[in-house]
Amino acid sequence: MSLLSALAPQRYPVRMVRRGTSILLTLFGLLLLTFFIGRVMPLDPVLAVVGPDADASTYQQVFREMGLDQPLWRQFLWYLNDLLRGDFGAALLTGNPVLTDIARVFPATLELATLAIVFGVIVGLPLGVFAATHHGRLGDHLARLLTLFGYSTPIFWLAMMAFLVFYAWLGWAGGVGRIGLAYDGLVPVRSGLLLVDTLLAQDWEAFRSALRHILLPALILSVNSVAYIGRMVRSFMLEQLSQEYILTAKVKGLSWRQVVWGHAFRNILVQLLTIVALAYGSLLEGAVLIETVFAWPGFGQYLTNSLLLGDMNAVMACVLLIGLIFVGLNLLSDLLYTLFDPRTRA
Amino acid sequence: MKTLSTLRVGLLLCTLLGATPTTVWAETPRDQLIVGMSMVNLLSLDPASATGLEVAEVGANLYDMLLEQDAEHPDTLVPALAESWTVSADGRRLTFVLREGVRFHSGNAFSAEDAAWSLQRVLKLNRALASTWKAYGFTAANVDQLIRAPDARTLVIELPQPTDPLLVLNTLATSPSAFILDRREVLAHQRDGDLGAGWLNTHAAGSGAFKLDVWRANDVILMNRFDGYWRGPAKLRRVVMRHMTESQTLRLMVMRGDLDVARGMAASDIQALTRTDDVAIEQVQRGTLYYVAVNARKTPFADIRVRQAIRAAIDYQGIDQVVMPHYGLLNQRPLQLGLKALLPQPGYRLDIEQARRLLAEAGYPQGFTTTIRSLADPPFINIATNLQATFAQVGIKASIVTGTGNQVYGAMRDRTFEVIVGRGGGGAERHPHSSLRALVYNPDNRDEARLTNFQGWRTGFHDAEINELIEQAERERDPERQLALYARVQERYDALAGAMLPLSQMVDEIVLHRDVLAYQGHSAATTRLRDVHKQP
Repeated sequence: MSLLSALAPQRYPVRMVRRGTSILLTLFGLLLLTFFIGRVMPLDPVLAVVGPDADASTYQQVFREMGLDQPLWRQFLWYLNDLLRGDFGAALLTGNPVLTDIARVFPATLELATLAIVFGVIVGLPLGVFAATHHGRLGDHLARLLTLFGYSTPIFWLAMMAFLVFYAWLGWAGGVGRIGLAYDGLVPVRSGLLLVDTLLAQDWEAFRSALRHILLPALILSVNSVAYIGRMVRSFMLEQLSQEYILTAKVKGLSWRQVVWGHAFRNILVQLLTIVALAYGSLLEGAVLIETVFAWPGFGQYLTNSLLLGDMNAVMACVLLIGLIFVGLNLLSDLLYTLFDPRTRA
Repeated sequence: MKTLSTLRVGLLLCTLLGATPTTVWAETPRDQLIVGMSMVNLLSLDPASATGLEVAEVGANLYDMLLEQDAEHPDTLVPALAESWTVSADGRRLTFVLREGVRFHSGNAFSAEDAAWSLQRVLKLNRALASTWKAYGFTAANVDQLIRAPDARTLVIELPQPTDPLLVLNTLATSPSAFILDRREVLAHQRDGDLGAGWLNTHAAGSGAFKLDVWRANDVILMNRFDGYWRGPAKLRRVVMRHMTESQTLRLMVMRGDLDVARGMAASDIQALTRTDDVAIEQVQRGTLYYVAVNARKTPFADIRVRQAIRAAIDYQGIDQVVMPHYGLLNQRPLQLGLKALLPQPGYRLDIEQARRLLAEAGYPQGFTTTIRSLADPPFINIATNLQATFAQVGIKASIVTGTGNQVYGAMRDRTFEVIVGRGGGGAERHPHSSLRALVYNPDNRDEARLTNFQGWRTGFHDAEINELIEQAERERDPERQLALYARVQERYDALAGAMLPLSQMVDEIVLHRDVLAYQGHSAATTRLRDVHKQP
């Protein structure tokens, strides 16, 4: 089956329209819910702007300027109207247009999450396969203990300990932020991904600094993904290894490596893609705790601070972006399903 | 072969990461100051919209003021953009002679027009800091007539109502609303008649010792030395302020020498750092107070005997010794420590028997049930827990309700709270009126008055005589008579067991690396970095 035919099965346009409508409805529902929940939360964005000591006239003036004196439904319609014109409003937190802020903070998280998921797959996948193929033996127990540790250790504590050991004691990690202060603002912004931008600028010193800053937070962030992917892969593999076709393959005289990787592993690929996509999605939502410890100016901190301020323009745009990420990852995973699993093409 | 390739990969990684301790940058550059601090409350750089101390910390280095509070002697005001000033005999007119030869960062020359326009702008925009000026009687309508520049070197401020001119001078020396803007530069960025408010959210147009280079909200602020500064260039080439909220991260970075100044560190981390020789801890007294407040409009707190019982059920000394080290200094008066007008401390202490007796007299021999609202952060929650324990000893069953600032103070603004552990009370100006106005003064106790900027109104405590005394003292020009009036305010507030029970004067502890010299924290947060330098 070629890629083209996988992408264009029968009744493809109908499916696409149906899928598109469902996505739009999902995103609209997400916006509606976030908007109304945000408005009923006991948060006062006006106070964030005017401060606790402003008098009633200042408070009322800002209250009106923010449109909060209007009925909720009208505020929502205005918001949608602006949104359709591509205007997401300005953020209270920064005074910038929300999209400008997101364009700044999201690449920081994207870079961190991507590296973390790469670590997660590189370590978690072999760990899970190893545990499954050594089922019930010492290796399996050790692997399970490791994943249990990854699941149950508070990430904040782990981050602090890692910072203490690798930054304060050994001096291997580069400290807080995305890059050393000496390079801050000197690397031309092209993609917003500092590793990429420093490479494009061929600034090797800056690249090294960015790498030293990102490795530790990415490794800590990946701990949970390693545990999740490792446990799921172990479970999927155990299920496959107990199937009769595995016995047949062994009887046929295939090597153990061929049986495990060529048959059992190939059959878990579809499920694996789903869990990796989900893990990646949650990493992209931002890792507030990691971002706090490492003063990483990312999406998680931005969203949390905006939420605490009741800055709904920023919150809505962030929620929409998270929605889009999950929709995108779902679509991608569906597409890959179609590629890898012939049964889904019917 | 396999071992060899593993070794190669290892070597490559080590090279890439510079993994040997000797290559680690463990010291900040000599000509730069690296500051770690929380920027969560730094929402706008516009002086008219400034809320919180952080804007003052940044703005004081980007802008100049007409006069400054002396860092070492905060009761002394020293000239800045104003070379001198005079107060008319009736105390209603302040005349400033302004400095010549001052240039803004843009290259524009400073004139009295800039000073007048900057102050007028605060009233016209009616943002966070307008309330200070409105309290003196200025309005958007009258400010053009009252604050004016008759010539390029003279600024005149006419006070619309009798006010102690010293109070206004203190505001000019401490409030970010008195930062002087480059009028032409700001107006060049004006949009839809906003007086440059949109642009100034993220930019600066001042004449201070440093120029704003980069501001990324909740990330980093980079300021470069302004070589054309009228006092002469600052000693540091660059100041970097990095957004850091995690206290232990700050602590580790200071210990490694990667941070020169750390602000907002937790008490436990500061305590740990006192054992090292690499850092110095500077304590800066703020004008604000930690307090316990009750809602005097609610039963049972409307009864003076209940308020007296609450006062006797607070373990002031225990809280001061156990909870407040690194956070505050014992102060039971609604005036800041160090002011001449402050009466000796009344010496309240935990007295269970007295509290029980007062409750019984008020008709609550078995006590009552109530809620204590508090932020979940130290020291607020620790104070609340301590209160809960001592309240229980007198029969008051209190449950603690924690929340964000919005939730906790929101209930106070709506006057729906019962007991609250809070912090506040003006005090940036070194003048008794500043604290009394914020904490005690309540000119209209009706709910519909919504005087939420007065914490006195929020507590629902109202006494016409105290209001009158505060107003009279603000108008009084004779220092001795003024002191006597402030003494009467404090005595009467004590006698009536006011709803605001001050516990402690807030202090900020700033952690400095040993190499940092001449750093002097200001009580109003207008800390200037122009003379700061490092050990050669």
